[in-house]
This record gives sequence, structure tokens and C-alpha cells, in this order.
Amino acid sequence: MHLSLSILADQFLLNFSYLWLIIIATTIGIIIGAMPGFGAANTIILLLPFTLAVPVDVALIFMVSLFVASHMGGGITSILLNIPGNGGAAATCLDGYPMARKGMGQQALVLSFVSSTVGGMVTACLSIFLLPYISRLAYYMHSVEMVVILLFGITLIASVASDNMLKGLIAGFLGLLIGAIGADHIYSTPRATFGFIELYDGVPLIAVLIGVFAISEALTMMESASVLSDKGRELMKQAGWAETWEGVQMAFARTWHMIWTSLVGLVIGIIPGAGASIAAFVAYQQSRLFSKTPEKYGTGIPEGVIAPEAANNGCSSGDLIPLLVIGVPGGTTAAVMLIVLTYHGVQLGPRLFIQNPGMGYGVFITMMIAYAVMLFTTLPLTRYVSRLVLIPTTVLAPIIIAFTLVGAFAPRGYMFDLWLTLGFGVIGYLCRRTGYNVVAVLIGVILGPMLEANVMRALRISGDDPLVFFSSPVGNGLWLALAFSLMIPSIAKWRRNRAALAAS
Amino acid sequence: MDINLNRRDFLLTVAAATLGIAAAPAILSPAAYAAGDFPDKPMQVLIPTGEGGGVDQAARAFDRIWSKYLGANFEYSYFPGASGQVGYEVFISKREPNAYNILFGNIGPEMIMYATQKVNYKYPEDFVYIGSMDVDDSVIWVSADSKFKTIQDLVEEGKKRQITLSTSRLPHPSTIGVLALAEATGMKVRMIPYGGGGPARSAAITGEVDGCATFLSTSLGLGDQVRFLTVFNNKNIAPSLTNNAPPVNQVFGTKIPPMSGQRAIAIHSKAAKAHPDRVKKLTETMKQVFSDPDYKEVAEKAGTPWEFIQYGDAAACDESAREYIALADRYRSLLTATK
Repeated sequence: MHLSLSILADQFLLNFSYLWLIIIATTIGIIIGAMPGFGAANTIILLLPFTLAVPVDVALIFMVSLFVASHMGGGITSILLNIPGNGGAAATCLDGYPMARKGMGQQALVLSFVSSTVGGMVTACLSIFLLPYISRLAYYMHSVEMVVILLFGITLIASVASDNMLKGLIAGFLGLLIGAIGADHIYSTPRATFGFIELYDGVPLIAVLIGVFAISEALTMMESASVLSDKGRELMKQAGWAETWEGVQMAFARTWHMIWTSLVGLVIGIIPGAGASIAAFVAYQQSRLFSKTPEKYGTGIPEGVIAPEAANNGCSSGDLIPLLVIGVPGGTTAAVMLIVLTYHGVQLGPRLFIQNPGMGYGVFITMMIAYAVMLFTTLPLTRYVSRLVLIPTTVLAPIIIAFTLVGAFAPRGYMFDLWLTLGFGVIGYLCRRTGYNVVAVLIGVILGPMLEANVMRALRISGDDPLVFFSSPVGNGLWLALAFSLMIPSIAKWRRNRAALAAS
Repeated sequence: MDINLNRRDFLLTVAAATLGIAAAPAILSPAAYAAGDFPDKPMQVLIPTGEGGGVDQAARAFDRIWSKYLGANFEYSYFPGASGQVGYEVFISKREPNAYNILFGNIGPEMIMYATQKVNYKYPEDFVYIGSMDVDDSVIWVSADSKFKTIQDLVEEGKKRQITLSTSRLPHPSTIGVLALAEATGMKVRMIPYGGGGPARSAAITGEVDGCATFLSTSLGLGDQVRFLTVFNNKNIAPSLTNNAPPVNQVFGTKIPPMSGQRAIAIHSKAAKAHPDRVKKLTETMKQVFSDPDYKEVAEKAGTPWEFIQYGDAAACDESAREYIALADRYRSLLTATK
């Protein structure tokens, strides 16, 4: 893979000459990222006539900018309204929304933007200089390793439900059951579809996301006059530029936290088919695990916003690596990019970095510039965007329901999805009213089908030998890490008790 | 220069930009509609697989040229799932049978799916294929650094242990080809479905499985990362693109029928009966695409070598569809969970 400073310099200059395009693409990306039901893939599909008509450099810069911006935009509604714009932003709700409720929505948004930018830039930079090495990760991460990584995420169910373990586990189990609806992963045998063809491909994630989070949140909002507590309302009204600066300081006081959680995202992103949802949940789980104050997670702390946001933006770099290095898209957006690049005659895979290294490495340069642009355009806006929570709930709740139902309908165009979303809205509302954790439900829905697919695949490859899960060195290392991570809370508790005994 | 936008101007600018983006497909596309003539509105293309897949790319390439002759734009919707069943079910039950709604699919895998899964529609009572545009042979390939240099190597190894081959989905011509080869040679093989071509190819390149069984065109972009071992047809139509991989019957003396994909256009049978004039226009304009010099360039840009491009009429499509139903019936127990 030929890399030289002149290639990087050329790409920087090329990208700067298209700065106007990056600004447009990132603006569109942030908007669609913040809207549940709209994503980078369907937006790029919609704009195919444009991307096919313009030169390949322009198309690539536009698509990459839009792609990374959609990841960044997903956190906005997670923080302000407890409504994730996409699966990758679901984990941001856990601490982002409690921060907003306390009147720290502005700081939470700044934390989200800064950690997204740092995460995206660090991983893009690493991708440029370590591409030949990190691209090899895909050669060691197969179904067995994916099973263990997914289990890392699934153990988060126990963490988020720590205040009522039984109810949390029931909610998680419900999520896993919902995730199991649809055709099985090997023989396509329909399960629990009740004859509805709309469910053959599984319960659409958007319907669950919007129903369980947005609709149920809107229904809950109607029970009070404001999203904010009285104290939070006062704080929000007084908020100014100082709060933006405070958010920046909060973020950079946790620079290492941003870096290592973005690396979690990068590694998971490289695995084809993994994606931002897993990255965000696993990073949040790991962040909580290694924290000195894990009990504070979920109450609205900066680390709980930084971890998922840095990870899902770190995942952006990882997502594109399989596409560029071996010519196989790692996700839906990458698959759509493949259409455009193939049409323009770009040969992806190892040859790209020999024949056209500028284009290969240029993707990561575009990412870095897009993140820088986004930071400069979004930071000044946090002061105004965060005031969304000052709108009375009597106005806000109907708007949320109307907008999100459009988002539920948009991806597939089924009326069925609207009813499904409303059904999940009622389920989500009942969960909230009775103390069942809706995040636990969502973790089950998102990670359950992936876990099942990988378990079934690993077993099928091994000839149905369950020992396959302990057959690879990388997998075994991950099992040890998983076991260790599950024991850490107990060890920490035991040490605290012993210290308390010694002190008394 | 001093730019001073007031609120009204700003809102008008935003509205204009939004309309511009929304209208981009119409502005950038060539078709203009004649009132009263068919088609006088955009064609609705339903694709029973995901965005960015082989069918999507082929459909867009074909329709780019077809729109010139048909005089219509094309709008796409994607309904992947259950090996294509979701798309067909939606097409049959939720799309109006008016010849404006067409399905762009792949005869081989989708007729195997039809024969092996419990579907709520019937062929040819509910839909018919009106034409196909290519023949894409099934192949077996391995990673370039694999120890298997020839198909004989793979088969010999398969006699000692179970070989694993990735595939996008079990109901697929390449699966039947591999199962027929295993039956003829005594090779033990297990097909591993990955739910999509991309993950299936990735698994074979990164060494999770021994190799990949798929259609040729979707693997050509992988270049020298892969080594083709065999082609499931009586002749390798693209030897220069496939390191001259031999046809399977030539190597083993077997009589395995050609296992190919044929990307084809389907319409509702009701539409074919109610609107023969529209079907005639669709088929006639479809044929014109193949003699258009621009199509070669567009098809190759979409990843389909010109050697694969081949028009098939409705009768040829029907014959192919019935052949796959028969093949699927023969291998039903291996393609489904039934014993």
C-alpha cells in the first residue's frame, strides 16, 4: 500500500477545494442522522442520480462526509429527547438524556460532538498510517469471535438493570424474543410471523427504536409540563457560551477515555456486518466496567456520553476498511457506496492502494476534514439546539409522535410498520410505568439476531460441535476478557468491603 | 461583496434548495412523458434483495438505457428478506397489477426459494417473467493463498474431511451445483449461508470457510485476492477473468446442468392479461437495449462483463424457471430443514 506525504498533501488540497460540498453533505448527514428512520444509506440511494453524474472524487467526498455526519447527528435527539436517531445512538440515551433533564443538555451535546470528532479523527488517522495492519483484523474476527463480542454487549443488560435485576433481565429477554421473530438465519423458516410478510425479515429495528423510545417517551412527557426538572429549567434558561466551553473542557479532561472507546469502535467496525450499534453498546459496557464509579452510569455523567459517541464514530472508519481493502462492503451504506464507485470504474480491494492510493487514503482525509468542519459548525449551535427541551411538552410530544411516525413509515413504506411502531410505543410506555428498562429491551432486539446468526453459523461450520466456541486463540482471549469483565464488579465490591472492614 | 439575507429570503433559499434536492432525480433523468401513452408516469421497480447488491447494480445499469427507449424514469424500492420471498410477496399482494409495477429479480435463486419455502403466491398464476438480460454462471472460488489450487484438490480434501463453502443463501443455484458435485464425487461439503453476498465473500477471503460458491459476476471485483476453481456450465464464457477455471463436467465427467443466475424482469400475470399492449411495449423496448452501444459501457461499469449479457425472451425465462423448480424439488431435503 503506497503511502507518501505527497499523496496525503494532494488529498488535503483536493478536499479543501471541495469544502463547500463537505459543508453541504455534513449538514444533510447531521439532519438525517438525528431523524429516526432516515439514514445515510437511503439518503445516498435517493441522491444516486447526483453521485453517478458527478466526478468520482466529488461523489466519494460527498458520500463519506454524509456517512460520518449521520453518525454524529444520531446523538442529538438521544440527548435532548431520549430518542436515538439510529441504533448506534441508542446507548447515548443512557446518560445523555439524564444530563439534559438536569439542565446540562448543552454540555451533553458538546460532549457528544467533541467525542464524535476526536473518535472519528483518531480512528481515521490510525487507519491512514496502520491500514495494512488493522485491515488484517478481519482475518481474525469470525463468527466465534463475534459471538463473544456480542456477549460483551448483551451483558450490558445486567448493568443497565442493576437497580432491579429481575425486571431488567425480563426486559432483556423480551428484547431477545422480539429479535428472534422472522425467518431463521440458515433455512429461512419463518418464526412467529403469524403470516405477516412484513415480519419475515424480522421486526424492523426502526419500529422498535421509535416505538420503545420515541413514542413511549412522548407519552411519558405528556404526564408532566416540561422535560426538565425545575432546577434544570432554571439552569437551561441561564445557559450561554460558558456552558459550551464547559462541555469542551469536560470532554478534553477525558481525552484518553475518548481515544480508547473510539478504538473499540474501530475494531468492531472492521468486522463485516458488526456496525455502530454493537460498537456503542460494547464501548459503554467497557467504560462502565473500568470506571471507579460504575454506579453513577445512567444518572447523567460525561463518560456515559463520551463512550458510545466516540465508539460509533470510530466505527465509521472501521466500516469502510473492508470495502476499501478487500472490496467487500461491511454494511448497508458501504454497499451503496460500492454501487457508485463501481459505476465510476473504481476497482476496490488491494489494487486500489497500488493503482490509486490517493483515492484509498483520501477517504480517511475526507473523514478528518468532515469531522473538523462539523465541530466548527455544530459547537456554536449547541446553545440554541439544546433549548429544544424548553418547549412545553404539550407542543413537543405531538410533534415527536408525528415526526417519528413519518420516520417509521419511510424506510419500507408499510402501514404495518406504523401500527407496529405504535404497538411498541405502548409496550415501551408500559415498561417505563412498571419499571422495566426499555434500553434492556432494545439491546436484546439489536444484538439478539446477530448473536443467533453467528452462533448458528459457527456451529454449522464446525459440524455442530459446540467446542468450536473455544477453538480459536483470539476467541479464547476474548472469553477470558469477558469472564474477567464479569468478575470485576464483584472483585471491586469485595475490595471495598475489605477496606471498610479494615477502616472500622 | 456584501451579502445580506433577511429572514424571508433565507427561508425562500432553504425551500428552493430542498425542492432542488427533491427534484434532482427528475432533473437529472432523461425521460419525458407523453400524455395518454404508456408509460405516462415513472415505472416502479421492486427489488427483492438489498441496496447495492448485484441485482440492484444490474437493474440500474439496464434501466439507464431502457429509459431512453421506454420513455420513462424508474423508481426503486427494496424488499430483501427470506431469500427474496419478502420482495415477491410484497410485489404480488401489495403492488397494483398495471405493468407499471415490475420486479427485477434473479430467476435461479428466486425460483429455488419459491420451490423450497412456504410462499403465498403461485408461478405462473401470479407473475411471469417477460425477459432476462444476462447469464451469470455459478462458480467455486477460494482465497488466493488457499492450499487448493484446483477443483480436484478441493474434492480430494472433501473426501477426507467436510469442506465448508460460504454462500449468500441456501436456496441458490450454486448450492445445488455444489450438492450435485458432492453427490457425484463423494465429497463431504457443508454450505454456510451468510445472508448476503458481501459477508459470504468476506468469509472466504478471510479464511473462515474453505471457499465460496456464488455467481461469477459478483466476485470479479475481488481481482487477484481469489482463485476460481470451477464453473458450473459446459463452457467457461470468461476464461480470462477466471484464471481459466475449467467447467465442472469437463473435470469430473459429470452431467450437472448449468447453474446460472438470470437477472430478469417480472410482471403480474394479471397485468400481462389485462394490458398486452403494455407488455408488448415493455418487451420490445427491452430488446432494443441490447443493441445500444451505451449499454455495453454501462453494464461493464456495473460489474457485469459483456460476455454475460444475453437477452432471453419470456419463453426462455419460463423454461429456466421450471428447470429450477425441478432441481429444487430434487435437493429439497438438503436445502431446507426437512429431513
